[in-house]
Formats: sequence, structure tokens, C-alpha cells
Amino acid sequence: MSELLANLALGFGVAAQPYNMLFCLLGALVGTLVGVLPGIGTVATIAMLLPITFGLPPVGALIMLAGIYYGAQYGGSTTSILVNIPGEATSVVTALDGHQMARQGRAGAALSIAAIGSFFAGCVATVLVAALGAPLTGLALLFGPAEYFSLMVLGLIFAVVLAKGSVLKAVAVILLGLLLSMVGSDLETGAGRMTFDIAELADGIGFANIAMGVFGFAEIIRNLELPEESRDVLHAKVSGLMPTRKDLIDSSGAIVRGTILGSLLGILPGGGAVIASFAAYTFEKKMSKTPQRFGNGAIEGVAAPESANNAAAQTSFIPLLTLGIPPNAVMALMVGAMTIHGIVPGPQVMTKQPELFWGMIASMWLGNLMLVVINLPLVGVWVTLLRVPYRLLFPSIIVFCCIGIYSINNSPFDVVISAVFGVIGYWLVKHDFEPAPMLLGFVLGPLMEENLRRAMLIARGDWMVFFTRPISAGLLGVAILLLIVSTLPKIRRRRDEVFVE
Amino acid sequence: MSESVSPSPKGRGFIFSIRSPRDFWGGLVLIAVGILAIWASRDLPGQRGFAFGPGTAPRLFSGLLVGFSAVVALGGLIMDGPRIEKYKVRGPVLVIFAILGFAAMIRPLGMVPASFVTFMVAILGSKEMRVLESFVAAAVMTAFCVLLFVYLLNLPFQLWPRF
Repeated sequence: MSELLANLALGFGVAAQPYNMLFCLLGALVGTLVGVLPGIGTVATIAMLLPITFGLPPVGALIMLAGIYYGAQYGGSTTSILVNIPGEATSVVTALDGHQMARQGRAGAALSIAAIGSFFAGCVATVLVAALGAPLTGLALLFGPAEYFSLMVLGLIFAVVLAKGSVLKAVAVILLGLLLSMVGSDLETGAGRMTFDIAELADGIGFANIAMGVFGFAEIIRNLELPEESRDVLHAKVSGLMPTRKDLIDSSGAIVRGTILGSLLGILPGGGAVIASFAAYTFEKKMSKTPQRFGNGAIEGVAAPESANNAAAQTSFIPLLTLGIPPNAVMALMVGAMTIHGIVPGPQVMTKQPELFWGMIASMWLGNLMLVVINLPLVGVWVTLLRVPYRLLFPSIIVFCCIGIYSINNSPFDVVISAVFGVIGYWLVKHDFEPAPMLLGFVLGPLMEENLRRAMLIARGDWMVFFTRPISAGLLGVAILLLIVSTLPKIRRRRDEVFVE
Repeated sequence: MSESVSPSPKGRGFIFSIRSPRDFWGGLVLIAVGILAIWASRDLPGQRGFAFGPGTAPRLFSGLLVGFSAVVALGGLIMDGPRIEKYKVRGPVLVIFAILGFAAMIRPLGMVPASFVTFMVAILGSKEMRVLESFVAAAVMTAFCVLLFVYLLNLPFQLWPRF
């Protein structure tokens, strides 16, 4: 316990340095902005801003990128409530009750409950990350190559089960991502693999290029097909920001339950903020004695998902920081960011760079505090920003992305690659393939291959090693069980329901 | 799924008809990708003794990809699914063209012309574009990017064409 406090003190010492505070604020603000504007996702933004963080010190860069992620959860709720346009997939359910509340003149209460819920969840999740960090890192030391491989298989299976749509298609997309990660020189022998004799492919395909293509360009192309939504910005003045005592009592249970559910779903690989917010809303509706109020402005319907998405956004750092395994696409980008700064994510980060590890955790709490303070007064600014029409927004994003990709290696070829992945991403969506598992497969690919190779070498070519080592066998057992359970018709129907609601 | 499920008309003369075109064609294309990957890694040495060669994992995973995609494609013959949404031409083509244009222009012409032209080409992809507004926005965006990347972040970009 005292060790935990000492670590947190170290972390706050790092996070409270003026520069790091500034990066934290900057990240939180950019995140909120992204959350407010529909049509730009968190993944694309982090990919876009990767080049900008090159020049920063690693701690500052990671603090800022983390800020973008949880900041977006705040921003998304603002527009969901005021305009009924969720800026972020995580806030889709918030719009259901939040916007109804706004129409009834209770926008202030909805906004402040969303902020309070998010802040509470942020506090709990920060403590959780700090508390689970050390024991999980200890666990990681027990892991050999076989265990790592099995853990990654489990992570990918989780991603499959929690992705929407067909399980089989998600597996196929993951395999595609794994294959893409193998393009380029082989790590051990240096042999060029699947490069089609293109010199630029010898170093492999850049992670940022794929992310930008699939999540940036492909999304823009998709959005252009939809008619521009009319954004009837609510002109009514937001008054009475403070929630009443009754609001607080009504929502306190929902906030706590949302936080717990969100924290759990965030840690699980493949989960993350989107699923957490959906699950929390559904759960709250099921729990309620008066489910008919949901959809008509129930304050619990705002409190639960907003707490859950924020909690999940933060706890999804746990597997990344302790085991070095990214549980979702945003964390996969964080791996990219860390690698660029020469940090190998995993258990050694905590022991070798404690100031980075604890500084980042402490910054999350500070960032949440900043968001509560700045978010409510800035509501007006965000709503004004929504008036920028998409027809001007999307070419700006394209130019920004192009310059960003080019700046990573000063290579025009990288820009071409991302355009190719823009087309691939568009095709995938047209055929109901989820692009996120592909990115996860791409990031985990090199790690999986390396551990698979090592495990096989140590076991003298015996495939049974994955089943004879107890931890590995357990992990694979869970993975197989999950896969079987998720294909059972009854569960599948449930799963579809969750995504429809 | 919220989309209405409208099965394709039953083909005559075939034992199967394509009942879920998204799955069927999606699966077929991924099978092709898997086969391409196997072909591309044909010359790589495989397993030697206990040790994996550089070709082992690519062939292993492309084999799995072909297998899973085949099941997806077969599923498209057995289970009903939604039709493939129509592919639009204007938006995608202009957006991709703008990006490729940027790649072609950035070295010879420099950042200012490349950004400006990319913006103008991309904006044509939207049906709602207005001429004057677009020129102003393109100029503002170019100026913003120059300010951010060149002056604030000190990235060594060439701004104008060199003669």
C-alpha cells in the first residue's frame, strides 16, 4: 500500500510538471474537439497526431495521446445531449435519453451528470490501473513464449466475439491483418517477404499508414455517401448547470454500476469504450423498476453509459502497460506511438521507466479533473464548432492526414499506401467486414510470430506445448470456450440485440 | 441488423444461388488474397528441423485465411443476407485521386501547391461544394498547415517549387 502511494506520488510529481500539464490539457482539449465533431474518430485522430508528437519527450507525447482518448469520451456526450448527434460511437446511447432531457429543458443537468459520472469513473479507473499494475506485471514475468502466444490468441478471440456481425468474418479479417504485418523483412533472417520486389515495402507497411487509410480516408469516403445531416443546433440556452439533489440520488447507483461494468469491459481484450457504454445502458434498463422511462429522458440513461465509457477508456491501458498487449485499436495506436519513441510496451516499462508509467497514470486523473473544469464552460464553443459544415471539414482532414503521413518518413510512397488502404477499408465496410480486428491483428502479428517461433524452438517442434503448459492451456481453453459459446444461436441473438439497441 | 434483408433472385441452372452476396464475394476476394500471399511467399525457406523459416508463418496464416474465407463464401450460398450496397464513384475516386495527387506533388512542387490542390480536388468529391467558399477554405487550411508543420513543429518541408 505504501509502495502504491509512493509510486503515485512519483507519478504526480511527473504529471504536475508544467510541460506535462500543458500536454495533458492539450490532449484533453483536442480529444474533446474530436469527440464533438462527428465524422472524425478517435483512432484517426491519434493516427493523425502521431507525427506531431515525434518532437516531444516520450512522457509528454504519451500523456497527450492518452488525453485525446479519454477527452473524446467527454466531448462525445456534449453533442449527443445538445444536438442528438453522437460525435463518437461511444456516445450513441447517451443521445437516447440525453437529448430527451435537453428537449425538456434539462440539458444542464444532463451535461453535468455526464461530467460527474465521467469524473467519478475516471478516478476509480485511475486507482484501478495503479493498483493492478504491479501484480499483473508480476504475472507477466511468469509468462514464456508459449503463454504469450496463447494470451494473444485469447485477446484476438475476445476481439472477434465482441465485434459486431459474423464471428467467422472477424476471424478472416484478423488473419488478413496478421498477413499484412508479415510483409517486409523477416526479423530473424532478414529475408524479404511478400514484397513483390517493391523496394519501399522492404521495411514493411507502416502502422500509421494503415490506420489512417482504414479509419481516416475510408471513413471519409463512407461519409460522403450519406446525405449531409441537418444539424439543428439547440438554440435554447443551457441554464441550471447544477443537478438537483434528486438527480444526484437518482443517478448515483447508475454511475457506480456503469463504472464497475466499464472497468471490467475495458480490461478485457477486444472490449473498450463502445461496448461498455452499450452494455451499461442495457444493464441499467434491465435493472430499473421503471424501464419505460428510458428513452424519454431518464437521467440514469445518461449517467450509466457515460461513466462506463470513460472507465473503459482508461482501464484498457492496463493490458497494454502491464503485458504489452493492446486490447483494442486505440491501444494498438499507442503501441505505435511508444515504439516510435523507442519504448517497448510491456512489463519492463514499469520497472525500467517508472516515471513514464506512473506519470501517465497520474496524468489521467489530472486530465479528468481538467475536463470537468473546462468542459462545462466551453459547451458554447463546442456547439458553435458544430456549425462548420462537413463539406469543408473533410478536405481539411484529408490535407492534414496527407501531410502527417508524409512527415513520418518524408516518403510519398507512404501516402500512396494509405490511399490504397483507404480503398481496402471502404471495400471491407461494404462487405460487412469490421476493420478494427484487422488493425489489432496487424499490431499483434510480429509479436505473435516471434513468440510462436520461440515457443516451437524451445519445445523442439512439439505443437502440444501450448496445451501441456498449464497457464497456456488455460488461456487457450478460455479462448476455445468463448468461440464455441459465441456461435451458439441463443447467445448470438442476444449479441445482435445489444448492438441494435 | 437493421437493413432489410432482400435475397437475390434465385439463379437457375445452379445448384446453389448466391443468397448473401456480401459474404459470398467478400469471401472469394479474401481467398484470392490468401492464394496471392501463398504464391508471393513460395520462394521463402520453410521449417528446418524445429526452427521456423521465414516462410513458415506467412504460409500458415495464408492457409488459414483461405480456409476461413472459404467458409464465409460458402455461408453466403447457404444463408440469406443483405445485398451489396451500390458503390459510389464520385466521392471515392476524387478523394483517392486527391491523396495520390498529394503524393505526386509534394516532392516536385512543395507543400503549398500540394496542399492547396489536394484540398480543391478532394472538395469536388462532395455534392455540396461551393466555389468561392472552397477557395477561401483551401487557402486558410494551407496557411494553417504551413504554420503548424513548418513554423511550429519545424519540419523540414519545402514550401514552393524549386527551379
